[in-house]
Formats: sequence, structure tokens, C-alpha cells
Amino acid sequence: MGMHSDKTTAEKLAEKNGIVFYRINSDKFKTSRADVFFVDNLSKERASGNAILPLMMKRGCKSYPTVKELESKLEELYGADINAGVSKKGELQFIGFHMSHISDRYTNGERLFEQCSDLLMCMFENPLIEEDGFKESLFRQERDNMVDYIRSKVNDKIRFSLTRCIEEMCVDEPFSIPEDGTEEDVLLLNPKNTLAIYQEMVKTYPAYVYISGEVDDKSIQRFIDSFMASVDRQKIKKINQTNVYKEVKEVRRIDEPMDVSQGKLCMGFRTFVEPTSDEYYPLVVYNGILGGDPHSKLFRNVREKASLAYYAQSVLEKYKGLMLIMSGIEAENRSKAEDIILEQVEAMKKGDIEKEDIEAALKSLETGMKTMQDNQGAIVDFFLSQHLTESGEDFNSMTEKLRAVTLDDIVRVAQKVQLDTIYFLKPDGSRSKEEVV
Amino acid sequence: MNYRTLTYDKIGETIYEYEHKTGMKVLFVKKTGYNKKTAMFGTNYGSMDSVFEVRGKEIHVPDGIAHFLEHKLFEQEDGNMLDKFTSLGASPNAFTSFSQTVYYFSCTDLFEENFRMLLDYVQKPWLTDENVEKEKGIIGQEIRMYEDNADWRVFFNLLDCLYVKHPVKIEIAGTIDSISKINKELLYDCYNTFYTPSNMAVVVVGDFEPESIFSIVDEMIHFKNAGKVEKKYPDEPEEINMEYKEQKLAVSMPLFNMGVKDNARVTGFELLKRRIALGIALYHTMGRSSDLYSRLYEERLINDSFQFDVSLNKSYGYLSWGGQSPDPKKTAGIISEAINEIKSKGIVQEAFDRIKKSQEGMFIRSLNSVDNIARELMDSYFNDTNYFDVGKAYEQVDIDYTNSVFREVFENRTALAVINPL
Repeated sequence: MGMHSDKTTAEKLAEKNGIVFYRINSDKFKTSRADVFFVDNLSKERASGNAILPLMMKRGCKSYPTVKELESKLEELYGADINAGVSKKGELQFIGFHMSHISDRYTNGERLFEQCSDLLMCMFENPLIEEDGFKESLFRQERDNMVDYIRSKVNDKIRFSLTRCIEEMCVDEPFSIPEDGTEEDVLLLNPKNTLAIYQEMVKTYPAYVYISGEVDDKSIQRFIDSFMASVDRQKIKKINQTNVYKEVKEVRRIDEPMDVSQGKLCMGFRTFVEPTSDEYYPLVVYNGILGGDPHSKLFRNVREKASLAYYAQSVLEKYKGLMLIMSGIEAENRSKAEDIILEQVEAMKKGDIEKEDIEAALKSLETGMKTMQDNQGAIVDFFLSQHLTESGEDFNSMTEKLRAVTLDDIVRVAQKVQLDTIYFLKPDGSRSKEEVV
Repeated sequence: MNYRTLTYDKIGETIYEYEHKTGMKVLFVKKTGYNKKTAMFGTNYGSMDSVFEVRGKEIHVPDGIAHFLEHKLFEQEDGNMLDKFTSLGASPNAFTSFSQTVYYFSCTDLFEENFRMLLDYVQKPWLTDENVEKEKGIIGQEIRMYEDNADWRVFFNLLDCLYVKHPVKIEIAGTIDSISKINKELLYDCYNTFYTPSNMAVVVVGDFEPESIFSIVDEMIHFKNAGKVEKKYPDEPEEINMEYKEQKLAVSMPLFNMGVKDNARVTGFELLKRRIALGIALYHTMGRSSDLYSRLYEERLINDSFQFDVSLNKSYGYLSWGGQSPDPKKTAGIISEAINEIKSKGIVQEAFDRIKKSQEGMFIRSLNSVDNIARELMDSYFNDTNYFDVGKAYEQVDIDYTNSVFREVFENRTALAVINPL
């Protein structure tokens, strides 16, 4: 079998005015891309304002003032893609702008990076503005769209129950704020105050820029030189650390009735592990053994042994130190499912873990680390995480740290994990069990 | 070893095709520099194969049985295959679609061990009354999960509108009631009928040499069954089943799916060309650069969730589009008007060239993903098409052909499915 072990690295190219530029070295992809992230502290006052910015910018810019013109231009550039959106990592909010296009190898000599990156820059440097605010007619549409979008989160019952569990669990902490804020916050936005947030973003938010694929040095230098060149970035905002410590006084139970067929159980735990601590790696292995894949305790016991569910899994929120266990079950099996899940969490604390369980979890994590390097977007996300926590790790060193985890390390972490909130999206009984729609 | 190659010149990638002595095909694409390796073992058998002959007698099996069998193959006499693959660091899975059941894994190391396991277990069903009963609880919860999924429901409601008889409208996992009728014997009947070399294929994508793959297949494939599969689908009328279907679910805003049947049954290179042409025409009509999209978006009749899709298969075909809308009926009316206008005026050359260039770029982009290439190889093979002929098909699709297939398809009536809030 063939071997290929070139390291995937992020090389720092430049740093100016709170903007750091990196180049991702990996040449196997058919596309090139540029990813720009602005970072803000997640707050109720600003979350919705930050979140509406990408929506406004997707409507066009000075050179391409309508969606039709902008999209037609992207089509001419061999189906280039420009996208933007918000996300959160711990108690930080990211406003991301992403551009990608096929490599110049496939374009009969046409060079795309400069044209595409100019388009990207036009979108966030010259958005559609009139007088002292965003263009009002567009603004109203996007604000209404955002309200619709926030309301439509209920449509995906699995995600909805996860989000609700986190909201309840972190009720007094910034982490409870959704990545695009709440409906009431959106309604406070207007063209003027949103433009003010936009100006704060470009002037004061720290930014990370990643360039990937086959892009020549000259084009990269041109990009770095022109990026936000006209913006005065003297005062860069200070970014907070996410707090992972909060005492659990008692386990909270939240039952929410809804007209659904299947109940969705979501159990929220606190791990008290920071992403930069030595305990982070044992925590990742712990999560793999408990509920990461089909070899895990949750899959084997809730699904395969008890036949209670189609899915039963645990996921980590790295930056906030949370672990969430999710499963879709019949309402009447709820306490049975909870008992089995908690037995598995208990077994982890007692060190009731086979050597093979650790090996299987490690192998699966290693596979994950390697396959991440086959996805251009995932590589960027990986390095953004490292740069954010200033961890300095790359794929190889992180794999080494995972491999060094021992049973004792895992048990030590297991004993810290505490149940905080049990959320249940409960079928309200209006859909009978026999009903087949 | 004897194998055929087909190279996509523009991209410089090659499909290696090998025929095992049983007649089963093996398709391989080398992806230099990639860590990930994916292998699939699939049968051209899915949820729509519900009527077939066993021992000279026609039988009608319960809905959802192909998917049930997919679940059960993972269980082997000496343990669960999911467990074994994950112990070796691979990530195993399977899917059942209308016309396929595909078992696969991806990994970075120990490919050979995992590949042997895949080829072995799919040839070795191990069914007991007890393990079949146990699975009903798990699949029952999968069905319940889909009952609450509005996107899934609206899609199947549209298929129910479009198709009068064709079993593509059958729910892939069946219903709680239909799976209660599944037993060991029926599952073996399905397995013995459809899991035969002439009806199956192996696909591998990753960074290694083709011979190494083909020799493992030679060693591991030892089917006892060799029969040819006769599939029976009812004659689908040209007309649609119904124009409109509505359901209520816990959603925030109405959700709609609209579509049209393509009654032309084509296969091979013609299928590729037709897909590309209809894709361009649909994109021209309702893509983000269209007047229709801008109008609907600005009137807030659609939002970012709006999508469209061309789904052509050798035994069925349809075009569909939809998303959230505060007023699906009004939206559907405006869309129908726009379709009629393009039908009569035709696509203009400038837009055609631009969209074709863009769509081909998207196709090249899709070759970044090992998993995507593997899925497309399998799907192309089962539709008697060659995946890397897509490049050639793009060269041959012109504006006249595109206008003519678009007009032909939209001679048929469209249907509308809506999910309303409670």
C-alpha cells in the first residue's frame, strides 16, 4: 500500500494590526481558498449584530450591487464560492468569510485567486451602504430572514434539544447565547446601529486569515498588502478566556412537551477541563470510549443491548469543557435509557475500561486526525483552534499526546465529570404510537 | 492482471476497472497524497425492489426490508462488525437508497485487514429469529426519528404526489407496521436474490496501486449464488398521482417541495448528458443568479433554505425544488410562470455558457472528496454510466439540446407537497 506522510502545516506569513496571516501547506486539493475570521467576545448585546453582518454582505458590494450580479460573476469564475456566517467556540463568536475556487490548472490559463480574493474583499470592505446605515430595504429583508431562521431552529429536533439543553445548563453564562443571538436582540437592530457594529468589526476585532491551495507567492503578498489596507486598526479588542468552572449544586431536570413522535434526551455534563490543560487529551479519549463511535459504551449498551435507540452518543464542547449525551427514544423508555447512560458514566469513573476500549478509541481518533487533513476546510478549522488557544500543536504532535494517554489519566478525568442538566423534549401524546403518517 | 482504464484528461485522474471471474466489477480511483481510503461493497438493490421472483413464484415483500437487511448484515456469528471495524481504527457504515444497498468503511491504516473484513461479512449473513426481533426496536426508533423530520416528510410526500405506482415512493425504512412482518426467512429470500456477483460491485478510492486491490478481491470473493437478477417495476403512468399533499408538523414556517417527473428512460452516456442539461436549465431557471430567485427572495417568499435537485436514475427520474416559504402556493404559482416563460423563450447563450462553466467547475471541486468519488462511482456503475465520462458529456451538451430536454420534461404537470405548522 502506498504511503504519503507529508506534514500538513500552517506557516505564519505576516502579522499586522491584529491580523495574522497563515498559509496552509498541502497541494493535493483541486481548489484554492482564503478564509477570514473576525473574533468577538460572545455577548447578548452584540451576538445578533455580528450575526447579521455576513447576511448583509452576501447581498452584494459596491462593484456587484445585486445578488444576481454577484452570483453571475462567481459563475464566470468557474463556479467560485463565497460564503459567510457566524459560529461560536466556547464564549467567543466568529464571523467567517470564505472564498474558494478551482485551481488554475483546470482553467485554461485563467488566474482566479486575485479575481476571487478581490471579490471577497469587496464584500467586507465595501458593503451596500446608504447615508449612515446599511441599505435599508436589504437590511429589513435580512433582519426578517434572521428572525425566521432563529424560529426555524425548532424544525431540527435533535439540534434543537441540544441547543435547549445548553441554554438551560449555562443560563447565567455567556455560553448560553446562541451563535446568532435571539429573536428579541435581532429586533433591536437597525441599519444605523448595525453599521456601527460593522465598523467596530473591521477596526477592532482581532482577525485570522488562512490561504490554502496552489497560490503563488506574488498573489499572496498582494493579498496581504491590500487586506484592510484602508482601515485604521489602532485599537484591537481584547478577547476573553472562556470560563470552564461552575459549581453544580444540584442536577436540573427540564421537560419540554412538544407534538413529536420520538422523545429527545440530552444530558449535559461539566468536565472542568480547559482546552489548554494536560487533561484535555485524556478527556478526548474518555469521550471516545464512552460515546464516540460504534465501539463505545453508549452505542453498545443503549442501542445494541437494550434496543432502545437508533443513536446514543456523546460529544464534547472543547472550549467550554462540556460533554453532552444525546439519544432519541420512546417517551416510556426515558428512565430506562437514563439509567443505562448513567451506569456507563459511573463505569468510566470506576475504571471499568478494557484495554481494547482504549485502543479502539485511540485508533478512531488517530484516523480522525489523519482524515481531517484530506479536507481543506477542516484543516483551516483545526489550525484556527490551535491559534486561538495558542497551543502550538499540529496534527502529528496532537496525535502523539493522545497516544500517551494512560488508563489512570482517563479515570482521573472521568472522576471530575459531573452531571448538570437533563433535558427531555417530550412527546405530548397528540401523535399516537400507531399513527403512520 | 487485466484491467481497463478510463482517464479524465483534463483532471488527470483514472478509473481502473477490473472484472472478477464471477463477472462482478471492481472500480478503483487512485488519490495521490490522501490519507483517507474508502472501500464500498454494494448491491443494486434498494427500497424499491419489493416485488420479485423466488423459486419461480412472484413474492411481494414488506416495505423497508432492504434497509432491514442492511442493518442485519453487520451482525455476525462472532460479533458485531461495527465493533470490529472501529477496533481497527476504521469507520464503518452502510446506506440503503431507492436502488442500492452499500456497505463501506473508511480508514487511514490497516486498509487490507479492513477490506478483507468488508468483502467477507457482506457474503456471510447470519440471521436468527432472536437477532431479527431485536433489530425491530432499533429500526423502529430510526423510523420514529424520520417521522419528526420535516425535510424528509415533505420530500416523500412529493414523491407520493409524483408517482402513481412506482415503488420509489415507498419509505426506505418502511413503517413500524411493515417491519413487524419481517422475518428471517424473508430476509434470506431477499439476500439470495439480490446479493449476487452480477448485481454487485466493489469500489475503492485511495492512495495505492490498483493490482493490490484486485488481488485481494480475487482471494476473498466466493459467491455461491450466480443467478441473474430479474427486477420487476410496474409501468408508471405518465400522469402524476396527485397535484398537492399537505401535512402538519411542529415547524415554525411552512415548508414546500415541488417537482416534476421525467418520463424518459435513458441510460449510459445519454443519462449523463440529460442530467447535465437539466441541471443547467434548472439552475438557469431558479439558481441564485436567476431573476426568479431574486424576485422570490426579495418578496420574502423564499429564503436561504431554497434548494433544487435533478435526480435521474435508469428506472425513474424527477426534478425537485423547495424550502421554507410563508406562502407555498403563491410561490409555486410564480415558479410555474417562470418555468413556462423559459420554456417558450429558451435559455440565452451567454447564460448557458456561464452556467455550464460554473457547473463543470463544481464537478471538478467535488473530486476533492474521497467519499464523494466512491459514492459516485458506485452510483454511475449501477446506472450503466461511466463517472469520468462526465467531462466528455459537458463538451457535448449544447444549448439546443438543453432547451429541448427542458421543454420535454416540463410538458408534464408539476406537483406540490407542503408541511404546515401545527
